[in-house]
Amino acid sequence: MSSMALVDNEVERGHRRAPQGHCSSVARVERGVLEAFRRGEGDAVRHVYREYGGLVYAVAHRALGRADLAEEAVQQTFLQAWKAAASIDVERDPAAWLATIAKRVAIDIHRREARRPAGKLDDVAADDPAVISLPPDAEALDAVWHVRRAIDRLPADEADVVRLQHLEGLTHSEIAARLGIALGTVKSRSHRAHGKLAACLGHLREPVT
Amino acid sequence: MLSDDERKEMLAEGHIGALDDAQSSDLDLLAELLADESTWARPPTAIGDEIAELIAREAHPDVAPVTIDAARARRNERRRVAVPILAAVAAAAAVIVGLVVTRSSGPSTQFSARLEATGLAPSASGSASISRNNAGFRIDLDTHGLVPLPAGEFYQAWLKDSRGTLVPIGSFSSSDGHVTMWSGVSPNAFPTLTITIEAADGHQDSSGRKVLGGPVVGR
Repeated sequence: MSSMALVDNEVERGHRRAPQGHCSSVARVERGVLEAFRRGEGDAVRHVYREYGGLVYAVAHRALGRADLAEEAVQQTFLQAWKAAASIDVERDPAAWLATIAKRVAIDIHRREARRPAGKLDDVAADDPAVISLPPDAEALDAVWHVRRAIDRLPADEADVVRLQHLEGLTHSEIAARLGIALGTVKSRSHRAHGKLAACLGHLREPVT
Repeated sequence: MLSDDERKEMLAEGHIGALDDAQSSDLDLLAELLADESTWARPPTAIGDEIAELIAREAHPDVAPVTIDAARARRNERRRVAVPILAAVAAAAAVIVGLVVTRSSGPSTQFSARLEATGLAPSASGSASISRNNAGFRIDLDTHGLVPLPAGEFYQAWLKDSRGTLVPIGSFSSSDGHVTMWSGVSPNAFPTLTITIEAADGHQDSSGRKVLGGPVVGR
């Protein structure tokens, strides 16, 4: 099954019940903000972007692998979301809805970039999507959405520890030295954060709907 | 440095040996994603303003982009209304007009702009000098680091006012170099210069794909 077909099927499945517990889909913006977003009010647009821009960007960055293309995808995602905002359920968290639009936009941009006229291979960056023409893996895009969402829900000090452990590969001692805090503090933050991630990411491969 | 296995052990909270195949596969994916820059990437905050601007223009068509023809029509209208007034004060106006013509008969640089790159063209840069003469405002634009665009796309320059109204001032194909463009509106009223990527698709509005931008300042 192609990635695009997978995305289309996810849309057809309709609403899925949100996971329970502290990972449940509680809207991060109020109903009034979403209604103002519908009307295109600047402050509401910026508010929705502040809350969900990171999530959308993570999905787009994973799909496209380049910051400039990911930024373009973010812009197009929010513009398309606003154009379709009449159908938005203001009582529901719009995160999954935005993620679905972001995936579609990112896949479209990837296809566009893959069609760009070929030049000399020496002139093309090794990570240029025109060189790596495999379509984005929709399952991985859903997964990165779940993971980013779980990270965004962590307190900043716990998220910092997890980032240093997994992105930079630092040990507890190295993190304590980097942040200038006690080793025991790093261990306790790491323990709490990993417990929360485990609770939130039990359904990592579930489609985002 | 932590190994991948050590990271997975943390994520499994010490129970890695008890995982079934599906759980083990999920663990591998989670470990991979947490080590992926994309998962942690944060977009520039300025994008929020750009999105708000794009949506505002779409939401309020009454402040839709002003075309050169529309700007010219407005100027002609102002000129038509002004004629009787000028006739009534002919003697004084002659003196004033004479002074203005004397001062503006030759081009002189009156504005400049330093253009900053956006994430769409992070290695690009640009500058512009703008001078006024009897025909309008001449914009001498120098750009560097803009990549050649695929067929059907081009760079478009705009002047923008505080409400986000855009006036197109010219287009060019690509790459480094010097371009001369003309504007019928003053940088005093439209004090921001931007460059976007556009497609020859029949849509006259800005695509929002901004690559360079910056304020125009008087000299």
